[in-house]
Amino acid sequence: MNDPLIAATSAAANGLFAQSTRMRVVSENIANADSTGKTAGADPYQRKTVSFESVSDEVSGADLVQVQDISRDEAPFRTEYMPGHPAADAKGYVKMPNVDMLTELSDMREASRSYTANTQVIKQVREIASMTIDLLRTS
Amino acid sequence: MSLNIAMLSPDIGRAAGSSPLSGLAPTAAPQAAPENDFARTMASMASDALNTLKTGETTAMAGMQGKAPLQQVVQAVMQADQALRTVVAVRDKVVGAYQEISRMQM
Repeated sequence: MNDPLIAATSAAANGLFAQSTRMRVVSENIANADSTGKTAGADPYQRKTVSFESVSDEVSGADLVQVQDISRDEAPFRTEYMPGHPAADAKGYVKMPNVDMLTELSDMREASRSYTANTQVIKQVREIASMTIDLLRTS
Repeated sequence: MSLNIAMLSPDIGRAAGSSPLSGLAPTAAPQAAPENDFARTMASMASDALNTLKTGETTAMAGMQGKAPLQQVVQAVMQADQALRTVVAVRDKVVGAYQEISRMQM
């Protein structure tokens, strides 16, 4: 027997977990926005992207979300002219990470909104479950 | 949590053959030991609830040590809370029934 309310809670809780992983990736990208390589001409930090997939759970019977893959963004790096930098190439240019702050911030806001939506689902489920249990009480 | 509403009264499951609730009827044949059925049902329900409570407790401990994600802890504790409330509500109902019988005029 599967309780649909428990299945709904599982789905929402998995959504919370997936969105918090996304939040982690965004924070890694922002934190490493200036991480360069160590040797001359070395590649800097490469932006991470996260993708989700749907998996069906046998226990609850619900389609849960999970992180499919955390991959690297293959977009080209920007370069900056810093001749004194240890990672500068022969012409004095340093490769900087392909992290775009605007993209990261909008991604963060999206993760936050999705997280909030999932917590609202859990709240509602808990409320109607309590209402159902309270049916036994009133007599 | 596998608290089964139909389990509380096997007659519901048997009588409502065509209703959607019939899918919730226990697979164990209730005719096997009718005099023992209610006690057994209550015992299995209580042990199920106890398992849920234990899961909630261990997950909460793991979460405090940083070994389990926050979301999982919240989910397990909420399930334990719901199981406990269900068990308490059912117990109140059962105790109320016993008191009703003991107040009966002989």
